[in-house]
Amino acid sequence: MKYTCKRILQLIPILFAITFLSFAMMRLAGSDVIEQKMQNTGQVVSEAQLNAAREELGLDKPMITQYFVWLKNLLHGDMGVSYVSGKNVFDTFIEKLPATILLTVSSILLTIVISIPLGIISAVYQNKIIDYIIRLLSFIGNSMPNFFVALVLMYFLGIQLKLFPIISRGISIESLAMPTLTLAIAMSAKYMRQIRATILDELDKDYIIGAKARGVRFSVTLFMSVLRACLVTIITLLALSIGSLLGGTAIIESIFMWDGVGKMAVDAINMRDYPIIQAYVMWMAIIYVMVNLITDLSYRLLDPRIRLGDKSL
Amino acid sequence: MKKFIAMMLAAVLTASVFVGCGSTKEESDSADNGKKTLVFGDTTFNAENEEGNVNPHEAYCGWATIRYGIGETLFKFDDNMELTPWLAESYENVDDLTWKIKLKDNIVFSNNKVCDANAVKDCLEDLIAVHERAAGDLAIDSITADGLELTIKTTEPKPTLINYLCDPYGCIVDVAAGVNDGMVVGTGPFVATELVTDDHLNLVKNENYWNGDVKLDEITVLTISDGDTLAMALQSGDIDAAYGMAYASYPLFENDDYTFTSTATSRAFFLQMNYNSPIISDAAVREAIAMGINKEGFVNTLLNGYGYVGEGAFPDTFSFGGQKVQAKSYDPEKAKQILEDAGWVDSDGDGIREKDGKKLSINWISYPSRQELPLLAESAQASLKELGIDVQLNITADHGTIVAEKDGWDVYASAFVTCGIGDPMYFFNTHALESSVKNRGGYYNADLEELAKEMNSTCDADERSDIAIKMQQEIVDDDAFIFCSFLKMSMISKSNVTGLKACPCDYYEFTADLDIN
Repeated sequence: MKYTCKRILQLIPILFAITFLSFAMMRLAGSDVIEQKMQNTGQVVSEAQLNAAREELGLDKPMITQYFVWLKNLLHGDMGVSYVSGKNVFDTFIEKLPATILLTVSSILLTIVISIPLGIISAVYQNKIIDYIIRLLSFIGNSMPNFFVALVLMYFLGIQLKLFPIISRGISIESLAMPTLTLAIAMSAKYMRQIRATILDELDKDYIIGAKARGVRFSVTLFMSVLRACLVTIITLLALSIGSLLGGTAIIESIFMWDGVGKMAVDAINMRDYPIIQAYVMWMAIIYVMVNLITDLSYRLLDPRIRLGDKSL
Repeated sequence: MKKFIAMMLAAVLTASVFVGCGSTKEESDSADNGKKTLVFGDTTFNAENEEGNVNPHEAYCGWATIRYGIGETLFKFDDNMELTPWLAESYENVDDLTWKIKLKDNIVFSNNKVCDANAVKDCLEDLIAVHERAAGDLAIDSITADGLELTIKTTEPKPTLINYLCDPYGCIVDVAAGVNDGMVVGTGPFVATELVTDDHLNLVKNENYWNGDVKLDEITVLTISDGDTLAMALQSGDIDAAYGMAYASYPLFENDDYTFTSTATSRAFFLQMNYNSPIISDAAVREAIAMGINKEGFVNTLLNGYGYVGEGAFPDTFSFGGQKVQAKSYDPEKAKQILEDAGWVDSDGDGIREKDGKKLSINWISYPSRQELPLLAESAQASLKELGIDVQLNITADHGTIVAEKDGWDVYASAFVTCGIGDPMYFFNTHALESSVKNRGGYYNADLEELAKEMNSTCDADERSDIAIKMQQEIVDDDAFIFCSFLKMSMISKSNVTGLKACPCDYYEFTADLDIN
């Protein structure tokens, strides 16, 4: 409990530092939301009008002042309004979060379902034809960028086979299928190799030979010992993926019109919509700290050696 | 045994994935309910373009109001960008400051309320009260309404008042009905029923439409920001028509299954010279650049023919545009000679000319958000190198900061709608006069300033057209601006869609004639 509280308290300086850094870096990017809007619409306005618009948003003040005004409002529970849409930042964020969480959960589940069995097969049949095929698939999956996989799936599953719609119209299994598959293909390719390597490493250990000598069935050894020993590796991989997925996958969300926080963040960066960017940065910091914390706690549950403080680890 | 277990485990788990994904696709709703429904994909309908809703009195939202057939203006532009009556029947310029506009007598809003002069007065008064740009453009002092006659008094002579009333912000809406979730009540063939910003807009047929029967029952406009997704959605049949397709995707639709509707718009891709730069202030260098850019090659090869070669500031759809202005033609040999005569020679044999020990190297600034501009930059870099001019490209989203400075840049390539409301002075007022906000290169031409004064006091359309031609010739002769091409705006639809027609002003898309068979 003490450990958990300590980790959560560490969030405070992290949030302070990261929001300040992002605030400063966005100012270094050059233009601001007023200029971006002018460029997008072809609007011609005088310098005086530009300055008046900046004053209205408080962008005329020094960066430090702007940051502390934002921080003060935040501490009063006000995350501000978007410079682009004029909507409340917190409401906008909360509105888009379910889509991102759903996509994260579905793609992680699909990744587990694909990569664990294939990783097991690849390890059990090491250097056999099926192992080569799985390794080749893994190699291809790792080599292809996400947007390319998305376009290939759209072409075959959407245009040729007409199994799924190209564009997401609300949250449904049909709409969820292709973005989930796209993310799961890339992650599974990575996971399969990791799981294969971990299982092979585990299968080489003495206790496997011991179990075999004692006449323990291979399936029992595989599921009760080997897979359990591999769980720490799998959990680590999952934690990293969940962290990045919960931050949204801007390209996938844009391509499939999946209205999540990743697309929102990239749009906000392009438009220099500072209040939205700050909210996103805070969200990212919180999820990484929380996911890491949960992962660390899960290690203690899954592996008694960690819980009992095995120095050999 | 261990092989069997592993195989079974893999098979069961993998199969479960595909069972989850393999739901059957529902039939499209348009086929089921017997209604004529069209789904339209658009890359530009979003809050980034200040089109977060369809209330014309807010930012640039009027573009969506007018494009999607929700609202209509008093007058409109025809295919030659000439003014024609729409909700109004006629107008009269009583004196420099007074305009009388007579409305048609059969106009009703979609809620069946009569659209008379009082309703128009209320709408325009609300517009100038809340919309800073409209208030500045229109300079309205007072409005009086009498039956179907509207009298507008301006605070200063406004020869282009009627043109400005055609701007999308001029859509006449029932202000008494208010704004509901960003939706307004207009007079157009369609009524907005549901709007989710950056996602979709649902429209239904206006049962009370004053100008004929509306053929479609429902339209859904989808905001699709990714160009590849837009193309695949049209290929798969998820959408029936598209606006904003990337040039690279055009060949996919050049067959009998699809229909293109295209027109030249006044969105120009042009170069602006920095007179503060010692190199560019040399007239020979500017002239060589003007002769050294292969505009036809750029349009025909890099834009696959989806553009128009530019001469002056306006395309030939305008009475004062196209070939009426004589720009320098592509002539690399003559350009080389001009540079030689001006003392720019390649003395060290590195392929780049020098003069007084200074290399003929220019900093070319542009931005990536318009797909044509990086292509233009690369094309110019290659063709100018043939002349012995080194072009250093800086294509950046932060272009505004760079060109705001006097130094550090030589040529700025940008895109601009030069004649959005059919008024040629718009471009000169914003870019080419001494007081222009976007006269970034410090260009000054005394004759041009005089012509601008003459234009501002001229109301006759023919005379204004003649002055506009002279003004363009001035800036083209000075090589202060080089107009490379104009955007050929295209909409692509499935071949069963009829009545979708691109217009030069880019305002009107959905009409009562829009249909799907």
